[in-house]
Amino acid sequence: MPLDVIMPALGMAQDSGVIVAWHKRPGDEVAEGDVLFEVETDKATMEVEAAGAGFLADVTAAEGQDVPVGEVIARIADVAGAVPAPSVEDVEPAPPGAPEEPQIQETPEEPDAPGAVPDGHRVIMPVLGMAQDSGLLVVWLVEPGAKVAADDPLFEVETDKSTMEVPAGADGYLAALLAEPGDEVPTGETIAILTEAPVAEPMRRGAAAAPVPAVHADAPAAPEPAPEPAAAIAKSADAEFPRPRAAPVVDGRILASPKARRLALEAGIDLAVIARSGTRPPIHAADVEGFLTRRGSGGATRVLTAEVSSDTFDAFAAWAATEAGLTDPAALLAGFAAAALGRETAIVAVERGPTIASYAVTGRALSEVTRTDAAVPDLILRDVRDLGLAQVALGAAAHPVISLGTSGGRIVLTLECADPAMTAPDCLHLLSELAGRLREPLRHLL
Amino acid sequence: MSPAKTTSNTEDYLRMFRQMVRIRAFEENANQLYLSAKMPGLTHMYSGQEAVAVGICEALTPSDKITSTHRGHGHCVAKGAAFREMFCELLGKEEGYCRGKGGSMHIADQSNGNLGANAIVGGSMGIATGSALRAKMQGSDDVTVCFFGDGATAQGLMYEVMNMAALWTLPVIYACENNGYSEYTRTDEIAAGDILARAQAFGIEAHRVDGQDVLAVNKLATDLVERCRKGEGPFFLELTTYRYHGHHVGDINREYYRPKDEEAHWKSERDPITILQDWLVAEGIASKDELDAVQKDIRAEAAAAVEYALAAPYPDVAEVDMHVFTDIPHATEARI
Amino acid sequence: MREITLSAAVNEALAEEMRRDDRVFILGEDVAEAGTPFKVLSGLVEEFGTARVIDTPIAEPGFMGVAVGAAMTGMRPVVDVMFGDFLFLIMDQLCNQAAKTHYMSGGKLNVPLVVRTNLGATRRSAAQHSQSLHALVAHIPGLKVAMPSSAYEAKGLMKSAIRDDNPVVIFEDKLMYQDKAPVPEEEYLIPLGEAQVLREGSDVTLIGTSSMVQVCQQAAEVLAAEGISAEVIDPRSIVPLDEATLLASARKTSRAIVVDEGHQSFGVTAEIASRLNEKAFYHLDAPVLRLGAMDVPVPFSPALEDLTVPTPDLVAEKARLLCAGELIHAA
Repeated sequence: MPLDVIMPALGMAQDSGVIVAWHKRPGDEVAEGDVLFEVETDKATMEVEAAGAGFLADVTAAEGQDVPVGEVIARIADVAGAVPAPSVEDVEPAPPGAPEEPQIQETPEEPDAPGAVPDGHRVIMPVLGMAQDSGLLVVWLVEPGAKVAADDPLFEVETDKSTMEVPAGADGYLAALLAEPGDEVPTGETIAILTEAPVAEPMRRGAAAAPVPAVHADAPAAPEPAPEPAAAIAKSADAEFPRPRAAPVVDGRILASPKARRLALEAGIDLAVIARSGTRPPIHAADVEGFLTRRGSGGATRVLTAEVSSDTFDAFAAWAATEAGLTDPAALLAGFAAAALGRETAIVAVERGPTIASYAVTGRALSEVTRTDAAVPDLILRDVRDLGLAQVALGAAAHPVISLGTSGGRIVLTLECADPAMTAPDCLHLLSELAGRLREPLRHLL
Repeated sequence: MSPAKTTSNTEDYLRMFRQMVRIRAFEENANQLYLSAKMPGLTHMYSGQEAVAVGICEALTPSDKITSTHRGHGHCVAKGAAFREMFCELLGKEEGYCRGKGGSMHIADQSNGNLGANAIVGGSMGIATGSALRAKMQGSDDVTVCFFGDGATAQGLMYEVMNMAALWTLPVIYACENNGYSEYTRTDEIAAGDILARAQAFGIEAHRVDGQDVLAVNKLATDLVERCRKGEGPFFLELTTYRYHGHHVGDINREYYRPKDEEAHWKSERDPITILQDWLVAEGIASKDELDAVQKDIRAEAAAAVEYALAAPYPDVAEVDMHVFTDIPHATEARI
Repeated sequence: MREITLSAAVNEALAEEMRRDDRVFILGEDVAEAGTPFKVLSGLVEEFGTARVIDTPIAEPGFMGVAVGAAMTGMRPVVDVMFGDFLFLIMDQLCNQAAKTHYMSGGKLNVPLVVRTNLGATRRSAAQHSQSLHALVAHIPGLKVAMPSSAYEAKGLMKSAIRDDNPVVIFEDKLMYQDKAPVPEEEYLIPLGEAQVLREGSDVTLIGTSSMVQVCQQAAEVLAAEGISAEVIDPRSIVPLDEATLLASARKTSRAIVVDEGHQSFGVTAEIASRLNEKAFYHLDAPVLRLGAMDVPVPFSPALEDLTVPTPDLVAEKARLLCAGELIHAA
């Protein structure tokens, strides 16, 4: 066995040494303990002895050369004559102490065999509500790779109404997680795979990574897109920050950075308005700035008016009071307005003189309109009919405002909207829908 | 009591008497301030040990240094401090030697070479040794005396610095005041072997002396200080003495570790002031009446200083973050 | 400009100050002929003699105490604490004595001394020779703490520290002793308490100390290639701390990451992050992040040790998340 001659680490903070002189020539016979060469470190020159006997060969470092600590600079061969020079790949890695060579096996970025989604029982995002087309995955209740029974709760899902636990639906091993907490997953889409046999390395990725076709998709024969390599679960040692998740509203608060809040406050913009404009909270400074820019370029406040006869609504209100016990006409207006907005749920504030009543609309049925203390409305109805005013346009506010005036037995509706979240067609739709409901209240019930 | 009476020494003897009485008077007032709840915190009384501080400090000049201990009022007085600034410090007043930031356990008249009283038992041994190293490096002939108690002989630091002082022949005198008690524990329960032998192990010349006999202490100290100036240091002294009070003023019920008749014996038979007074009268240096008059004057001076300190102002609240650094007037200003 | 190693820069600073002021002297273990195990002090004993380059017994509390006494009485000792880990041995003398003397004496006594020591893991030295304990002393009022990030800083800060009338602890990164940087031939000082903005940026502020400055700069390079503009700041001393410069940057970029090799919990990163949160809150668009050394004793095995120290990749990864607004703690 030839012995490697290595540039030794001689100082405490030394990472290279200069060969001052070789004391042996290539081919020379050396005995263990013979001085082989002299090396200069930052402070001193020292002699380096041969670690074994043999013949000096393959000298790769010349006198005067600065050689990194740990590098092979020659060999001591068993026999006189040439020993094949080591190729670059054969050079030993730097020994511990060489700071630039961490000896860590990183998890490979791209493993040789990309993990394919394993075959097995497909767990899908279930349809849990009446008009639900997606569910928010809240949390996985089972560790990847773990064994589950059909009745074991497997994950928690949040719909518009509630959060519920969903059982696995089959016995097996949780071989793949195809959605992450926080993902909004269309119903029917596969979010996990249960296999009959345990798997060594369960797969885990987010729903956006590579959607597995929904079970009810009608093209099962189509080739599946090549799945992305699975990210090793243990890749990040840092569990402090989970992957981003949507956290739109917590305890009724819209999440926003301190700077975003300050900018919004300075601009007089309600964060709820920005959130409705399509920005998914948390809202950052750039979102506020973008909103202000859009509003600035979007320019003017939209003002639309409509007129309808007041008779039909008055008759409808009287009918609703006697037949359905719905005695608050303002609540009826709020219900119509929310529906006109195209929302199942909305907060509508009804202003009448100095009093403001907020209504939470939670469904299409007018019995689902209730008084609320919620501060941020989606829409304001400003009823000035008692004041005998016909048409008022008091300037845009942070929320769309529809004023209800009166003129010759007719209700005059004026929509003012500075909200860049509402496009011109949105505004037209809103006002025409509301006017239509006031004209024909039964239309709402249908 | 051995030294012969000479006219040149007469004033020295009387000054030692006055200094011991001054310490006693200071401590009596400090104790009263504590008992009458006029003093913040608590304090450790030096009464009974006066001959140690006075005997040694009378062998020093103002340029010689000392380091002191938590039981440090005696060293402070003996090194030349004034009552007013001391009582002000004791009461946390602005005019105190440390502007009220040190209190009883850190009281020191820095201008007289007192490098501070230290509330860490044994904590000043490095400082004293470093001061002696400085003297040697500067070629200065001043001497540093490190006062510490028998309890501090258990600290490892002492052996580290005695080793260096002996290696480097530093002008430092380690003065161990052995009052028999290490806080609330008899010293013979915590100290193995002979304390002198510990210094001798480093080749340091060590002496034991009666710490109640101020003239004997002074004679030995004068001799060792002179030898230190000639480069013969370091030296080690064990001064056998006794503290009249408990570990601190609040340590009243202490019979569990120290019998009352032992205290009575030391007070009646071994009191350093009485011993010197009797000798001064017997030698015809001063009459009892003259010495009584000295005591009366000093007590009046102490009482006046207490009154002054009680009426003196506290430091301005702006002082709280001053003197953290030498060059940053208010250390926390940027952070408020 | 010529380039010299950090080790040579420290050596030059000491030699220049010892020539300038004969009150300056060095004491510690193996400082004279040996020139310390890192050879930082080589040659000084030849010029200044054993009277001013003093080899002590292996007794850290003892020689630290001696230095305090010498400083209090007019000398300017530079105490060599061979490894930062040995700070634990000198804690009483450093924190109870040196740090408090000026205050407890009402400003009448000064302790002008320098403690030279080091920090830094990844030298394969295990848990008792690899710690970065600067936060420990920075916690104590009365001690200044400097953390040079290159040869240039090492020299300028050392000279200022020696001239300072307060106790100053200087932490050199023991892995950087052979790192070279441009150092002027002519004399210069770097005041304690002045941060340096090493790279200007607009998206995120990276605050690094000691060798973590390099880590931040490397991260900034990576980020720049991705279109993220990082500002890199070296506080240079953590006591006093140039808060104004750090705050101005955080307000400008609205995001900050503090990187330091001390343990992350209760450390320098926490202190700086907290000050930014308190004083730049309404300018922040993301939480201020901390990246310190992992809260474990430093392991020996290279496979483990390298995991414990912040890396450029980690800094860049966190910066990306901050800038994308995707760093949200679980609600």
